[in-house]
Amino acid sequence: MTTLRFDNVSLSFGSTPALSDLSLVVESGEVVAVLGPSGCGKTSLLRVALGLDAPTRGTVWAGATRLSADGQVLVPPERRRLAMVFQDLALWPHLSVEAHLRFVLSSVGVPKRDQEERIIRMLEQVELQERAAAHPGELSGGERQRVAIARALVTEPAAVLLDEPLSNLDLRLRRELLGLLKGLFAQRRMTAVYVTHDIREAVALGDRIAVMNAGGVVAVGAIDALRGSPEPLVRELLEGLTWSGL
Amino acid sequence: MLWPLFVLLAGSDEAAPSFAPLRAVEPWLLLARTLALTAAVLAVTLAIGLPMGLLVARTDTPGRRIALVAHAAPMFVPPLLPALGWFYLFGRNGLIGGEASAGLLFSDLGAVLVLGLTFAPIVTSLAALALWNVDPSQEEAARVVARPPRIVARILLPAILPAIALAAVVVAALTLSEVGAPMFLRVRTYAAAVFARLGGVDFAPAEAFVLLLPVLVVALALAAVERRSIGRRSFAVLGLRSFRSAPFALGRWRWPAAVFCWSVTGLSITPLLALGWRAGLRGFADLPLWIGGAVWNSLVPAAWAASAIVALGVVLGPLLSRRDRAATRLDLVALLAFVAPGALLGVGLAAIWNQPETAWVYQTSAIIVLGFVGRYAVVGVRTLAVACTQTPAQIEDAARVFGAGYLRTLAGIVVPLHWRAILGAWVFAMVFCLRDLETAVLYYPPGRAPLAVRVFTLEANGPEPVVAALASVQVLLTLALLGFALGAAAMRPRAHDDTSVRQRQPEFREHAGAL
Repeated sequence: MTTLRFDNVSLSFGSTPALSDLSLVVESGEVVAVLGPSGCGKTSLLRVALGLDAPTRGTVWAGATRLSADGQVLVPPERRRLAMVFQDLALWPHLSVEAHLRFVLSSVGVPKRDQEERIIRMLEQVELQERAAAHPGELSGGERQRVAIARALVTEPAAVLLDEPLSNLDLRLRRELLGLLKGLFAQRRMTAVYVTHDIREAVALGDRIAVMNAGGVVAVGAIDALRGSPEPLVRELLEGLTWSGL
Repeated sequence: MLWPLFVLLAGSDEAAPSFAPLRAVEPWLLLARTLALTAAVLAVTLAIGLPMGLLVARTDTPGRRIALVAHAAPMFVPPLLPALGWFYLFGRNGLIGGEASAGLLFSDLGAVLVLGLTFAPIVTSLAALALWNVDPSQEEAARVVARPPRIVARILLPAILPAIALAAVVVAALTLSEVGAPMFLRVRTYAAAVFARLGGVDFAPAEAFVLLLPVLVVALALAAVERRSIGRRSFAVLGLRSFRSAPFALGRWRWPAAVFCWSVTGLSITPLLALGWRAGLRGFADLPLWIGGAVWNSLVPAAWAASAIVALGVVLGPLLSRRDRAATRLDLVALLAFVAPGALLGVGLAAIWNQPETAWVYQTSAIIVLGFVGRYAVVGVRTLAVACTQTPAQIEDAARVFGAGYLRTLAGIVVPLHWRAILGAWVFAMVFCLRDLETAVLYYPPGRAPLAVRVFTLEANGPEPVVAALASVQVLLTLALLGFALGAAAMRPRAHDDTSVRQRQPEFREHAGAL
């Protein structure tokens, strides 16, 4: 596991800023939930972490390695040892569940003899043993979500990033998958960034919560620390917790 | 494309281009005449293609799909072939011809009608593809308040304007480049005049190149029109979403519409059928004496060129779909090579490769492959760009994030995911190479004439039935390829083709219009 650090990161598309002077540290083995309204830059933060976008200014670190700095991607996405659960999952329609896992394992150079064992173990953990040969088009919404999670974790990445992975699911499935994620994170002591706009998910999964607004982090801390925050957006978000009775 | 142009512009000491030919009035008059002819052909194609497109795509006209397939056939063969077909029918000694009909055929009007009927399917196909992909809710919302003609004029046509503009650019480019049909019909055009400076006894490539400069300006204008009218929607012109709604019921207009639709279809395929009629048994019986290696000379370079074009498409298409700056510039060059007259590329290629040290290229079919790739690269690039636009960028991003490098992402994700588009691009590139006359005719090596060139060179002096039989072979060859493509497109999709991420619609048939 590794520490992820964003130092004064800015990102803009033409004249439109997506991130402005954002700083955030995700410690090794820690889950940070990133919370904020739509368009506040949550997904941009993940794309910069992955190297899919280069920060206009600022530096992104993984441990002691500079990943990106000042408009340059220094380590390409495929060499960062990060994994991602995309918002719309981005499953590969032509590959079976098992082939998804095999593809990513061989991409990161796991020897063939070890792949089988890892695949079986991972499929057991996400309870997809029976669906190994199925393609994404043949899976239910919850099963697809599990494939995306399995794909992200099977390579044992340095950190995993999740972009609102449960936003399209019903309440029952959401609860079930939250439980699964929580268990997997704890068991593997994962470094994770979990992006969501739902405060309940943030509280359920995050060791700390980073609240974003207009491209920057306006507050960060454990839920109890945030309760005392004077930031209006934080107070507004916490009202959601009061309503849900948490 | 750029390299040949640069070589010609720079010139050598002995062959430095002189701009004297452009100081005369004649080239400019001929250019004006050619532009007028192009405008007239464009008007005919729009007048036929737009109503046909509307009828086959959005109405319940009987037999509309079969009509579309049959109507489209002439656009896949060199226009010289339909011109020959009409000649066998309406020439002085034609089946139903006489002095008057021959006079009409061998005139500007005749050329406009022949080219207009040959190129009309381009407008029909692109309009139909675009109409199939207009969100039906747009039309349904209008149906609540407006009558059908108003819906067509105010909703549907504006919605498919980019596709119409694209079709107009393609038709104008093909008309401007066309050499075979105007020369056969004795109609003076700019491209034919330039070709004469290259193909005649007074071979003068530098002068031909200078004469082509004004046409290059026209080609640049066409490329600019394409960019401006389509802009960022370039790859979505044919629709990213295959929405379907029930065809509009024509009621009492159904049968008049069918008469129009099938009359146009009849006009499209009549000249091709006339080729077979004129060939008769004698023409086909004598074929082995005349055909030589023409079929092989067509198929082999076309297959190599199509493969190279697809390889370019696989590399550039995904980048282009993401608006990569370098890929967008290369696409512009490829588009320019397509819309510029074939002679321009031909002259440039000759200037570069017709050297003693590169004889191994210039005196073999490799030069034909190079020419085809330069001219038709845009077919592969655009087809793959359309396909990649239809899947979310995250599909590829995901592969990279999970450790796959560029080649692995290409081989493991892009190629298997878009195999239908790749196959489609290959077939369409192959068809474009097979129908090419104006580039290949300038530099085909001795004894390596492709079939279209063989028809062109034999047309003046060869026995008519044999020429007609050769032309029929060209038509059959093309139809066989297209039949193969349609068969592949109709293959039942596997379960996993129905994606979890975004509904991937039968994209294959849409690649015909990727240009």
